[in-house]
Amino acid sequence: MTAYIYDAIRTPRGRGKQSGSLYTTKPIDLLSGVLVDLRDRNGLDTNEVDDVVVGCVTQAGDQGACIARFAALQAWQTGHSVPGVTVNRFCASGLEAVNHAAAMVASGFHDCVVAGGVESMSRVPMGSDGGAIFDPAVQWKVGSVPQGISADLIATIDGVSREEVDAFAIESQRRAAAAVEQNRFERSIVPVRDQNGLVVLDHDEHPRPDATLEGMGALQPAFQMFGEQFGLDALVRRRYPSVDRVRHVHHAGNSSGIVDGAAAVLLANEAKGKSLGLKPRAKIRSVALSAEEPIIMLTGPVSATRIALKKAGMNVSDVDLFECNEAFAIVPMHWMSELGIDHAKVNVNGGAIAFGHPLGATGAMLLNTVLDELERRDLSTGLVTLCVGGGMGIATIIERV
Amino acid sequence: MSDYQNTAASVVLDDGIATLTLAQPGGFNKINPELIEGLTGALDYLDTVQGLKGIILTSGHRDFCVGADLDMVYGERDPANILGATQAMNAALRRLEQKAPVVAAINGSALGGGYEVALAGHRRIAIDDPRLMVGLPEVNLGVFPGGGGTQRLPRLIGIQAALEVILQGQMVRAPKAVKMGLVDELASDRDDLMAKAKAWLLANPKSKQPWDDPKFRWPGVRPGSADARNLLLAASAMLYKKTAGAFPAAEDALSVVQEGAAVTFDRALEIEGRAFAKLATSDQAKDMIRTLFFHKTAAEKQKGLPRVEDDGFRKVAVLGAGMMGAGLAFVCAKAGYDVVLKDISEGALEKGMAHIDGELKKLRHLDDAAKAALRAKITPTVDLETLRGTDLVIEAVFEDLDLKHRVIRETEPYLSANGIFASNTSALPITDLAKASAHPDRFIGLHYFSPVEKMPLLEIICGEATGDDTLARSLAFARKIKKTVIVVNDGYGFFTSRVFSSYILEGAQLVAEGYDPNTIEWAARAAGMVVSPLQVFDEVSLALGVHAMTEAKKYRPDAEHIEGVDLVFGLVEAGRKGKAYGAGFYDYEGGKRRGIWPGLAAMVGGPGKQGSLKELGQRLMLAQVAEVGRALDEGIIRNWRDAEVGAIFGIGFAPNTGGPLAYIDRFGLPALVAELDRLAVEHGKRYAPSQLLRDMAAKGERFFDA
Repeated sequence: MTAYIYDAIRTPRGRGKQSGSLYTTKPIDLLSGVLVDLRDRNGLDTNEVDDVVVGCVTQAGDQGACIARFAALQAWQTGHSVPGVTVNRFCASGLEAVNHAAAMVASGFHDCVVAGGVESMSRVPMGSDGGAIFDPAVQWKVGSVPQGISADLIATIDGVSREEVDAFAIESQRRAAAAVEQNRFERSIVPVRDQNGLVVLDHDEHPRPDATLEGMGALQPAFQMFGEQFGLDALVRRRYPSVDRVRHVHHAGNSSGIVDGAAAVLLANEAKGKSLGLKPRAKIRSVALSAEEPIIMLTGPVSATRIALKKAGMNVSDVDLFECNEAFAIVPMHWMSELGIDHAKVNVNGGAIAFGHPLGATGAMLLNTVLDELERRDLSTGLVTLCVGGGMGIATIIERV
Repeated sequence: MSDYQNTAASVVLDDGIATLTLAQPGGFNKINPELIEGLTGALDYLDTVQGLKGIILTSGHRDFCVGADLDMVYGERDPANILGATQAMNAALRRLEQKAPVVAAINGSALGGGYEVALAGHRRIAIDDPRLMVGLPEVNLGVFPGGGGTQRLPRLIGIQAALEVILQGQMVRAPKAVKMGLVDELASDRDDLMAKAKAWLLANPKSKQPWDDPKFRWPGVRPGSADARNLLLAASAMLYKKTAGAFPAAEDALSVVQEGAAVTFDRALEIEGRAFAKLATSDQAKDMIRTLFFHKTAAEKQKGLPRVEDDGFRKVAVLGAGMMGAGLAFVCAKAGYDVVLKDISEGALEKGMAHIDGELKKLRHLDDAAKAALRAKITPTVDLETLRGTDLVIEAVFEDLDLKHRVIRETEPYLSANGIFASNTSALPITDLAKASAHPDRFIGLHYFSPVEKMPLLEIICGEATGDDTLARSLAFARKIKKTVIVVNDGYGFFTSRVFSSYILEGAQLVAEGYDPNTIEWAARAAGMVVSPLQVFDEVSLALGVHAMTEAKKYRPDAEHIEGVDLVFGLVEAGRKGKAYGAGFYDYEGGKRRGIWPGLAAMVGGPGKQGSLKELGQRLMLAQVAEVGRALDEGIIRNWRDAEVGAIFGIGFAPNTGGPLAYIDRFGLPALVAELDRLAVEHGKRYAPSQLLRDMAAKGERFFDA
């Protein structure tokens, strides 16, 4: 059976700090907001929804205790009939939710599933859920470093300079600015409103359209002190012994921004779509997961993309547009160079360097970004991929119908 | 008169205060079942005492207690028994600290398990005696504190401060211990100690351990907090940088501190005990305990070596005022000898004395007058006449046979009757040097390691004619200057230098074969080597390497020629003579290493190929082990203990192995001989196993009992 995408929406992304517009909005309100909007703009009978699958990385505090179920209850009040599940595959969680929903639909176990993601990084800081990755015993047995060091390690091994990653970041900002200027996200962004219906935020507030190469050149590498003074760079040598010195090239300006936001995607099979009176926008062609060495950590999109293409019986050239999450500039750069993908087809409206990366929501947001752009350009096929903590990779290929 | 007495402990009651004195037979308290049963018996007795106000825990011996009974730990291979022993100790200490307020009256050194016993006190008071040390040195023997130390100390002084002590195996004197929080208070002498202990108990009748207080708050970072996570990540990284993953004891200690901090105190002890049981029964712990405790202690005590009580030396002369000569003069003066520092150049003498002044500055416990008196014991001179009546001459001049012969001839006449001439050569055969001596029976090799003020080892080399009395007096001298000795027979490079050269040359060889230099360096560290081969080659200098290799050819004309040697000659020709010259395998900037010289790749035909850490590390280890095998065949080693102690303390051979012979045992002799044969075919005859190794393998023998 084929899983179709009927709609995909998202909140704007607010700066993920105490001065950010969405700091006073609880994550459950971000998420239930998009669930309400998804229902309303599709006239969705939510009693027909078999499950709400939500990606969320830092499941503690406001985001703990299965936020998916309580957001669905708060949003829909539909006789309490919609279950919910919250999934964590680190930065892939939002796309994992989509893939999981697609798999349930494609298998026939479910007919209609809402997928999505939420992350309020201003209210629930990264890492505040603890975890085995912080356990020294796991360090000895498995090995892991903070992602920024992984990113710098890839740049070191690939011989990519600070100037090159900075230039990539400037290009991301330039593309983002052009996209915002031309209202290219109009179809997907739903404003965040308060209890009075007043708008809290209706546009992405992280981009820095005025960013310059000179200005960026002045930023201190974010992981230099950790890497050099606290000795974290040495942890890479168990697997990369030839790397005597990690060259630290990533900083706040060429890495993904910390932001708040939520997204929702409506998936169903053909029959259920028809009976709900909905028109499909795209179908899922293939999904893929991969896992690689955890210290370098962020190269997973390469293998995940290869698997997704193979499952779909496609080549790189068969894909019209790509979204590869800009967790760090080197991630899409490495991925493009490994797979021979033209930058002109990748992150055409900018990426997380400009807009930010609300961990659990990003995957679902990238899906709706690529779908909107395929429609705008009247192209057919898009691929979304993200690097994932612990050395994993994820990818999804969609095709317009 | 005691109110209670058993084999290991006694109790005296006075005014509701019980003084519980640990005093096992034999002059030392050691953590073993006897001590724990003794303590338990005393606690049973205290259960019967009415109106107990407090307990003073002290020792009846000079030391408080300097740790576990290592004979017992060494011999135990069953983790269940080790776990049982830790449980018994934990149970006794828990009973003690929960019975009444307790002061640990630390009358002498409290180390390892001994300090862990003191941690069961609610307060620690120590006598301010410069000989008194406290701390937790366990990781240096391949284990970690297994008697509650990894749990009590973090709860007492905070996770960060505790990790510093535990992971570095720190031992400190009492005043520093107070600063670090390991001890609460100092006392001037035993009476003061007991008075202060009693006063504290009377003033704090409701005292309990912080971890037994329901309102307990962690000092420093709170477990589970973001600060704690950052701290543990940084601590893991720092540790890994230092150990390259070769020393699981410290890694496990860090894990146990972290895991234990997340649970209740009593269950934390269980976490500690299980991890300790695994580590203490591991091969690595056994090998480290054998060499770094038993062998080292035997070497320090010169067990099995000829003994005279006194060397009979009053006046010592050192020839050559370089860093080694000046350092030696300082070491001898510090041990009480009158020292003449002789050189042919006034400039060299000035530099030498400046070096000595630098060393004097470091002696913070001496006042200016004492420093001046110490300096006055050293007479710098260019005049041979000043040497007249010298009882021991140690020459530390350039490594050149003719020069040394000349120096021996011109100096010997100034020796006192029965005086000894020693050479500090690192390689030239003593028998050859002694050919210039008028009395070769009083000629010996005393090979020191640089910097001599710090390096603990002295390799004593007996030439063919060296007399027993000369050896015995040299050994007495070694005791006085506090060096750990190995005694070896003569042959080019003796023991340590030849093994060391096999190591650094194999490093150069791997570079010449095209392996990536940084990977070679890390492979050595990951195998446990203290310093990586190219780094240390640069430090001893490639120029000296070239000189030594040229000399070596005279003595070992049939030695295998390897490309690594050509590479080193090439580097020297290209002006890259080592760290002191600002360029070697590495680039240097202001004396600091700046990474492998990028031009090295071109010298060996292209960018480095990757080898696995295991493969490269094993080649570096096995090249040394094969050389050790030949030294055994040639009779250089008189006592297997010396191969272990010499390799680890002389040249930084991987301490995690316990030494080259323990390495062989752990590898398994038949497997090792097969592997060496394979490597000899593939890479050259320097790998070939020696006859002794073959014979032992055939007979199913080992060097040390499993």
